[in-house]
Amino acid sequence: MAIGDEMFEAMARSSMSPIIYEVLDYSVGLTTKDGELIAQGNGTTVFLGMIDALVKEIIAKFGTADAIQDGDVFISNDPYFGTHLSDVAIAKPIFFEEQLVGFAVNKAHWVDVGGMVPGSFTPSSTEIYQEGLQIPTMKVMEGGRLLQSVLDLIAANIRLPRDSLGDFWAGVAANNVGAERLMKLYEKYGLDAMDAAMAGLLDYGEATIAAELKKLPKGVFEAEDWMDDDGHSDDPLRVCVKVEITEDRFTVDFTGSAPQALGPINHGRTALVAAVRTIFKALTNPQISSNGGCFRALEVICPERTIFTAERPAPVSTYWETMLYAEDLIWKAMSEHLPDRLTAGHLLSVCAFILSGSHPETGEDVILVTPLVGGWGAMANRDGLNGQFSVADGETYNIPVEIQEARYGVRIKQYAFHNEDGGEGKYRGGKGVYLDYEMLCDSASLGGSFGRFKFPPWGAAGGNTGSPNYVELIRKDTSSNVRELYGKPAQVKIQKGDIIRCVTATGGGWGNPHERAQADLENDIKNGFVTPEQAARYYHQEVAAE
Amino acid sequence: MKIRAASDIGGTFTDLVYFEIDEASGQVRSIQAEKAHTTPPHFEEGVARVFEKANVALTDIQFFGHGTTVVINALTERKGVKTGLITTAGFRDVLEIARGNRPDFFNLRYKKPKPFIPRYLCKEVTERMTYKGEARTALVEADIDAAVAELKAEGVEAIAVSLLHAYANPAHEIAVLKRLEEIWPEVSVVASHQISREWREYERSNTAAVCAYVLPTTEKYLSKLETRLADEDFSGAFYVMQSNGGIDTVAATKRTPISIVESGPASGVLGAAALGEALGLKNIIAFDIGGTTAKCSLIDDGKVAVTSQYMIERSRTSAGYPIITPVVDIVEIGNGGGSIGWVDDHGKMHVGPQSAGALPGPVAYGKGGTQPTTTDANLMLRRINPSYFIGGEIEADMAAVEAAFAKLGAKLGLSAQEAARGVIRIANNNMTNALKLVSINRGYDPRDFTMIAFGGGGAMHAAALAAELNIPKVIIPAHSSVFSAWGMLMSDLRRDYIRTRPSKLDQEEATHIEASFAQMEAEALDAYQSEGIDAARVRTERALSIRYQGQEHSALVPVRKRNLMAGDIDEIIQDFKAAYEKEYTYRLDNAVEVVNYNVTAYADVDRPKLAVIDDTGDLDNALKGSRRVDFDTQGVATTAVYDRAKLGRGAEIKGPAILEEAGSTTVLFPSQRARVDDHGNLHIEI
Repeated sequence: MAIGDEMFEAMARSSMSPIIYEVLDYSVGLTTKDGELIAQGNGTTVFLGMIDALVKEIIAKFGTADAIQDGDVFISNDPYFGTHLSDVAIAKPIFFEEQLVGFAVNKAHWVDVGGMVPGSFTPSSTEIYQEGLQIPTMKVMEGGRLLQSVLDLIAANIRLPRDSLGDFWAGVAANNVGAERLMKLYEKYGLDAMDAAMAGLLDYGEATIAAELKKLPKGVFEAEDWMDDDGHSDDPLRVCVKVEITEDRFTVDFTGSAPQALGPINHGRTALVAAVRTIFKALTNPQISSNGGCFRALEVICPERTIFTAERPAPVSTYWETMLYAEDLIWKAMSEHLPDRLTAGHLLSVCAFILSGSHPETGEDVILVTPLVGGWGAMANRDGLNGQFSVADGETYNIPVEIQEARYGVRIKQYAFHNEDGGEGKYRGGKGVYLDYEMLCDSASLGGSFGRFKFPPWGAAGGNTGSPNYVELIRKDTSSNVRELYGKPAQVKIQKGDIIRCVTATGGGWGNPHERAQADLENDIKNGFVTPEQAARYYHQEVAAE
Repeated sequence: MKIRAASDIGGTFTDLVYFEIDEASGQVRSIQAEKAHTTPPHFEEGVARVFEKANVALTDIQFFGHGTTVVINALTERKGVKTGLITTAGFRDVLEIARGNRPDFFNLRYKKPKPFIPRYLCKEVTERMTYKGEARTALVEADIDAAVAELKAEGVEAIAVSLLHAYANPAHEIAVLKRLEEIWPEVSVVASHQISREWREYERSNTAAVCAYVLPTTEKYLSKLETRLADEDFSGAFYVMQSNGGIDTVAATKRTPISIVESGPASGVLGAAALGEALGLKNIIAFDIGGTTAKCSLIDDGKVAVTSQYMIERSRTSAGYPIITPVVDIVEIGNGGGSIGWVDDHGKMHVGPQSAGALPGPVAYGKGGTQPTTTDANLMLRRINPSYFIGGEIEADMAAVEAAFAKLGAKLGLSAQEAARGVIRIANNNMTNALKLVSINRGYDPRDFTMIAFGGGGAMHAAALAAELNIPKVIIPAHSSVFSAWGMLMSDLRRDYIRTRPSKLDQEEATHIEASFAQMEAEALDAYQSEGIDAARVRTERALSIRYQGQEHSALVPVRKRNLMAGDIDEIIQDFKAAYEKEYTYRLDNAVEVVNYNVTAYADVDRPKLAVIDDTGDLDNALKGSRRVDFDTQGVATTAVYDRAKLGRGAEIKGPAILEEAGSTTVLFPSQRARVDDHGNLHIEI
């Protein structure tokens, strides 16, 4: 685990673009020579399962021809073995005494990888070719020598190449650190002892999880839900899961979920496996370091070409909406059966958006890409968390207002919890936020995906559903009284002085609101989390305003 | 004879360490230590009592340095006062939104740290600065008055003021302070810019919040201590140990008490730096093993590493709270003498972070402990003498220790002896990882460093750890068990000024950069002079945080030049590229930019000279006997045991050997050699 953490730190300290350096949307890991995950450093949950999938792809493509050499560096953003094109993985094979012993890998979100819009994700794409430069799993360094043509080709196809090539070098450096530490261990303990230690580590992961699995409730648990739409039609899409837990197996079956869609809400099977791994870990042992052994009891069933198992050339750039539904379905199926571990529904969507324009001071092009914090669901014994990133993110940080204003030349009018209706319960869902941007450049463009716009987070045990995620545009010059609301803004034009209000969900409540303790409700009103009017309407309690 | 004294108030004991200084030579004549019980809530009584016990007249004291955990205790025990926040309209939730991160990211029942100030006490005022420090919206005084009326009605005792972009221009924060002084002079107040001039509103607001939260408590504490000392006609200088590895005046500490949050741990590192300076060593790894934790810090080119990225209560399971105050950069792990060795459900052995604490303590104490600790393992291997345990205060209960290791070993199919070796190996491995974090991981080669090891357990493990990391030399200081207090007595005043002021770094900017530095230096000098400190004693150091354009993380580059001119910029850029490469392993061709200006202002204090100890001649005078000691992979050897106190200057010892002193034991492995220097410090060649 210490090796994974160190790689993470090296990456965090040396990454170039804000999405990585403040938001930390990346993950690092080490695998065995066969691609079994040994350690994964802190980062995001969505990449759990991507590290080993990539290495297995490298082995399949290059391993047989003996084409993996010391000093090679591989690069890939193949989304069908990962997430979307924006997430670029870099892998380094590690050699000890001329034998391949493992791989150091990291995966990070580049601020732009080309394609039809700045920032490279948009709800309007219909095929992968519109979403940016595809980098199949290939070498970018060979035997220690940089293949400059590869980098040149990449640089020519992306916006802001200065920032992204900085990310590239940071990734190479992070792998070098991981590789060096693994080498030191090999030098100290020798080949046989290290091979045994790695096998032991995997077995340890398996044994720990097997013990936890025995503690879970046994049986079949089901859930279904609806996704807003695919961005092209207005029709909701049905998704469902059947979870079967026995003494030693954890099987999830997504059969019956919507087929591969026209818009970019699809993802490949690797992302589905990663999603299931995340929730499986949450249900069993969240703290144990992740390695391949932890997931041996897991089985994922899903037919081909659903939105969870899309195939080329399906667009995938807003994959997180669907990937998180896969997690959320299992969460929903299990929450009332595991009330000490699970909450009611949370904001779910990453609520990532792209604001591209120019800096009013310098005139330079700027692309602001960031996920948003929102409300988490209540639990059986406490209120939900206010203002946290979705389960997709882990060690992800919001970008400070002071830095956003300086770097992107926007003005932020407020960053505050809101009081929209929703999430009432014996325990309340956590609060979402209003984040208001005033545009100071002459024109800009907004894109993004705020899932759960039509279907807010679910309540549990009689608690109310939460409030939706959405974007509201408050135009400087408008005569219309109709609110301009979006769940999936695509290339929306913004004029100077317009206000973009990003709104995130309040999480689902837990238990009947009428059972909320009077003291808790008084505290809510004192702190402004519930208005006196809401107290009367949802909680049937009269509480004097201060 | 004059006395320099340092006292440290701990949870159980109030410690006193003092030098008796020969007035003619300026040399330390003796170092003495005394202890008294800590006397909450009247801590000043404990301090007075420990002087009384030591028979030291307060009138003889020239210098009094004080380390205290009052701030960190008030924070961790949530015993500060009811505090309000005044912030920019639209941003009252900044403390609770925080950064939104979840370090325990697979845990879906994660608990977010609760803000120190609840939402209903966070008040907004209309005003706005831009990131360039221009006032875009004027401050509305009526909003302050309204906030005060509400906070007064709620009975708050302290107010934190934190406004957006106050790092760039604190004018509005200053205006709020002024208005508060007019309408509510009794309330304790601190504004973010008084503590930090770095950007990131959550971090700065939280820093102001926790500072205000502990302000009245700390102010009262220090005032009572001042009064108590004055009652005894104390007329020397009274300083408080700061987290940044320096000392500062009581008046300055009362204004922004958060600066003493890590008052205790910093002084040991400072001691290592001071000892290094006396011995002509510039590169040092300071290493301190106590009862529950081990701490290490790196001193590069004589400079103590200081960071403003300090967190409290940060762990694998909690995001914790950031505090932007300069703190000696220490890596601390839960591995000390009292750390417990245990086997998990799946047959893996671990050591710590659980500790046997003071009660029941290690099994050997015979106070009911049954879980074997690192100290017990050292006894088991006879590295510690069972019949000279804690300086002979306790007869170690070896039957219980052996039974405990037999039980631990049985879970893994190991003998008791093998289990004890396992505990030492794992503890050493944990400590090695901590040492790597401050050295190798930051681009330093341990072969270029000397380890200075102290604390109760430092001397016991140091030689083994140094061998593992290829550190060529270890120094065990004289009085290593009271080394932290020693460090306080060797300290200068130190204040760190850090400002975020982003700009390009090129030749055209040279005059602006010089002007920024000069302004900060003038402020630092003014502050000292206004407190009656002679300008001739003040010296400053400059540094810049620089990064590649488009990047967040920076490298800190010392700037030695004064009167910077265009021609000096290239050298700074080259230094940056080298420093960056050292830390991050690569270079880029990108342009570079300045993020922060750092000025460190020291005010020198007269320091005593180290005394020279006698040459006691024959080693045999110090020989206590011999015993069979287990050196793990290097076998079990008949080992000479020396009384360290009887070793004179120039004494040379060949390993394997054990050197015993009252508070500590030094273990010398086979083939290692040690020499005692003129001042009684032990130098071990690895």
